[in-house]
Amino acid sequence: MARAKAEPQPANGATLIAMVGLSIAFLLFMAFLNVVKTGPVLNEANLLYAALIFYAGAGALYLGFGVTGTESYVRFASLATWAGLLANTAAVAHRWYQAGHPPFASVYEMLLSFVWTLAALTLIAEKRYGVKVIGTVTMPIAIVGVVLMQLLRTDVKPLVPALQSTWLHVHVTLAMLAYAACALSFALAMMFLIQDGMKTETFLAATSLFTVGIYAGILTRFEKWGGLSVIAWNAQEKSEMFLSRGVRLFVTIPDLGWLMLIVLGAVAAPFVLYLAARVRNNEAFLTTANRALFVSILLQSLALVFFLLRAENASYPSLDADGLYPTNLAASPFILSGLVGGILASLLYLLLLWRRADLEKLLPDAVTLDRITYKTIGIAFPLLTLMIAAGAYWANRTWGSYWNWDPKETWAAITWLVYAGYLHMRITRGWRGRRAAYFAILGFAVVMFTFFGVTYLLPGLHSYA
Amino acid sequence: MALSLHSLTHKLWRTISAVKTGVVLILLAVVFSVAGTVILQRPMTDADEMQRAYSPQMLRFLDAVGLTDVFHTPWFIALLLLVSLSIVAASVDRFPNSWRFFARPYKSPDENFLKVLPVHAQIPVADEEAGLVAAERAFHKLRWKSERIVRRNGFSLFVERHRISELAVYVVHASLLLIFLGGIVDALYGWRGFLTLNQGQQSNVVALRNGATRNLPFAVRCDAAGEDTYTDGSPKRWWSKLAVVQDGRDVQRKEIEVNDPLVYRGLRFYQASYGSTGKLDHLLLAATPSTGTTGPREISLALSQTLALDSDTSVQLAEFIPDYVVGDGHVYTRSNDVVNPAVHLIVTSQNVRAQNSKVRNSKTKTSRTVNVWIPEIPGFAENGQSPYNFEVRDLKIGNFTGLQVSHEPGQWAVWAGVILMGIGLTFVFYVVHVRVWVLPVRDGRGRVTLWIGGSANRNRDAFEQKFQKLIEKIKEQLPAESHKSRQPETTFAGK
Repeated sequence: MARAKAEPQPANGATLIAMVGLSIAFLLFMAFLNVVKTGPVLNEANLLYAALIFYAGAGALYLGFGVTGTESYVRFASLATWAGLLANTAAVAHRWYQAGHPPFASVYEMLLSFVWTLAALTLIAEKRYGVKVIGTVTMPIAIVGVVLMQLLRTDVKPLVPALQSTWLHVHVTLAMLAYAACALSFALAMMFLIQDGMKTETFLAATSLFTVGIYAGILTRFEKWGGLSVIAWNAQEKSEMFLSRGVRLFVTIPDLGWLMLIVLGAVAAPFVLYLAARVRNNEAFLTTANRALFVSILLQSLALVFFLLRAENASYPSLDADGLYPTNLAASPFILSGLVGGILASLLYLLLLWRRADLEKLLPDAVTLDRITYKTIGIAFPLLTLMIAAGAYWANRTWGSYWNWDPKETWAAITWLVYAGYLHMRITRGWRGRRAAYFAILGFAVVMFTFFGVTYLLPGLHSYA
Repeated sequence: MALSLHSLTHKLWRTISAVKTGVVLILLAVVFSVAGTVILQRPMTDADEMQRAYSPQMLRFLDAVGLTDVFHTPWFIALLLLVSLSIVAASVDRFPNSWRFFARPYKSPDENFLKVLPVHAQIPVADEEAGLVAAERAFHKLRWKSERIVRRNGFSLFVERHRISELAVYVVHASLLLIFLGGIVDALYGWRGFLTLNQGQQSNVVALRNGATRNLPFAVRCDAAGEDTYTDGSPKRWWSKLAVVQDGRDVQRKEIEVNDPLVYRGLRFYQASYGSTGKLDHLLLAATPSTGTTGPREISLALSQTLALDSDTSVQLAEFIPDYVVGDGHVYTRSNDVVNPAVHLIVTSQNVRAQNSKVRNSKTKTSRTVNVWIPEIPGFAENGQSPYNFEVRDLKIGNFTGLQVSHEPGQWAVWAGVILMGIGLTFVFYVVHVRVWVLPVRDGRGRVTLWIGGSANRNRDAFEQKFQKLIEKIKEQLPAESHKSRQPETTFAGK
């Protein structure tokens, strides 16, 4: 069986804690030395950097727990999360003070709030409901968020007239709270599935499908002769380049498309092998599938490295205009987060594969997890409703209509409907357990598409974000 | 025949009121909404962009099935109506049951109920009355109102909180229907249009989306419009000073800006765009007498306005040419953009010659006109002969304001629905219908015990904790001597 693949190593807790502690101290010290020379210590970038270090430390400890199964790691990971949240709070406060409005006006500011809410909710879930290892899922999301923030433009931009409204703040605050609650319900549903004894290979198939989705999404920008389109970046303006209003200028990085296509094949392989194992009823395929996933992690890392090398500060031709145009990682935050997200999801699967028994020991029982998932959605759903209502009210004051069927609005309504479906099935038809968990996961997938996908893949009025 | 018809309608009703039907309809609505966001939609996209995106056959097909305007096609609206119908049917189907539950509370539990209720406990007591009084005191301390129920051989207690929570879900459904109703009213009777006004202009004709126009029973005048910018030049605020004119007088005035419209008789005027008309609003000139007797004097002129400079001389702004060019003996403009402006002034002087006639001491006036061009255009300008020299100090170009006009009579239903839904959801998720029954019974050994049972319609684990606390409270209230002497053994049951 696949689960017995890795031998449990003797638990040696002190080493990793010491290492993570030391590296946190070291990174903070180096950063401190660096900023003492340049100016004020407590500015937003430094605070965010500190938050990143702490979140990464927490992530490392959760992962270390995954590898060695030492329970004390989880406690220290929780401490690191606290420290990260503190730094993150300071960063939010600094931003708020500096900008003079709550930090909800750009993708950067929204991510800042989102990561904050996620970390806070993680700690609440940990303390209040005893879901100790929830950080294993939420911390990687937080890390991706903070890394993305390092790339996005951070300058405080004055608000364009349409955004100068209290309703905007209400709308976005509610959105961030709702989305973070949805993220938490997703993490809880995943843990429920683990605790409910869902087969490890089913998670393998799901992980494989998730990464296939990511690469398929990236490959929608596949161009002729194996290129991959990314958005051109204007270094002076620190913004994306536009051909005309609302139409972004794309440049084509040659050959990167082929690489992505190969990785797509690699991430699809575990799923194909899983299907083969189901059809042929042959367990040997599953062992191969696990190996294939391992290979896919290597290839995904390769894709990430190549993307980093080729997309950062280079110039490429465009299909729509003559000449070479520069591009930058900041122009493609969503490809980047997709690549990182795929790797993290695969790593989480490895964690499950190797440490399932320890995870099960640490998690509350399945019934409790099921109930907390429902409770979290019970918080998320009213927040989603109010978020849509506040958005409609704001739209009515700004564009003269409360509902325009603009893609973001439509997708918000779809999210709402999916969760409404979940609640109906649960309350009136008594759906519990797996089916409810699948619904919760579907709901979060729709949330993520509404948050990221709509902004970058579909055109519409919400183009500020 | 009649029977089968009856069973058919019964079946139909069963289908339409089933939750499954509702969820399937919602899923269908979701699928088509997704299609509506992935496929370019006509109302939001230019026609030529649509042609660029899809092949002609594809576009014809999409148009034919309505996928290029999903949200306004009859079948999508029909789908939404079906969803509404399903909500109504499901509510109507379930409401009588809930209402019975709500209107006739179950106060006096019977033997069977005692056995099946999962959350209950038993406390040994000295006698029935002491136990009931202790429970009543405990409820009083919790500020829960208890009610004595008369039974065949004694009394029992009944406590109930937030019974309304049982009906909250119907409030949510009603609110959703209210929102739909508002949407339908707006779809049928609402309209949106656009009104562009130059500074100083007034109009009552609104251009609608489909190219038609609509006459308002009143006119709107733009007194001023402008833009404030941040120090870096990016726009901070667009504003327009508007006045509503009815029967020749101003009935309402407001300075609107983005996010703050003018509302008059259910019509809303939003600041949507702003720009320059390319037409002159007024010109600031410095006029200096060519004799040099006095210093320069600043004057302001609008187009074709005439102004007296002194008792004999007046000046008129005859032409303003935003982008001038000379050719074929004419000065004309190349474009409407103010890039190369020229100004044509006509200076008129009255030459007064007193005639030396003793008979008639009269004055003969002859007037002389001089064409002044700024800048001096050879062949047209006679600037040298002008009694005044002019210098342009400033050009004020007129602004226009673009107003979005909308009439949404149904929006009040929408907002009422939203508020109602907020209230309903709060009740659905956070207000728990709690019931507690207290009943003196005899246990197996014939001792008197207090049977206490509770139920909550949601959030049961939290209720169980509360229930344990309630039991503790009741025990505290029991008479001390009986409490100590008997060593009461409390039995709990529950999940």
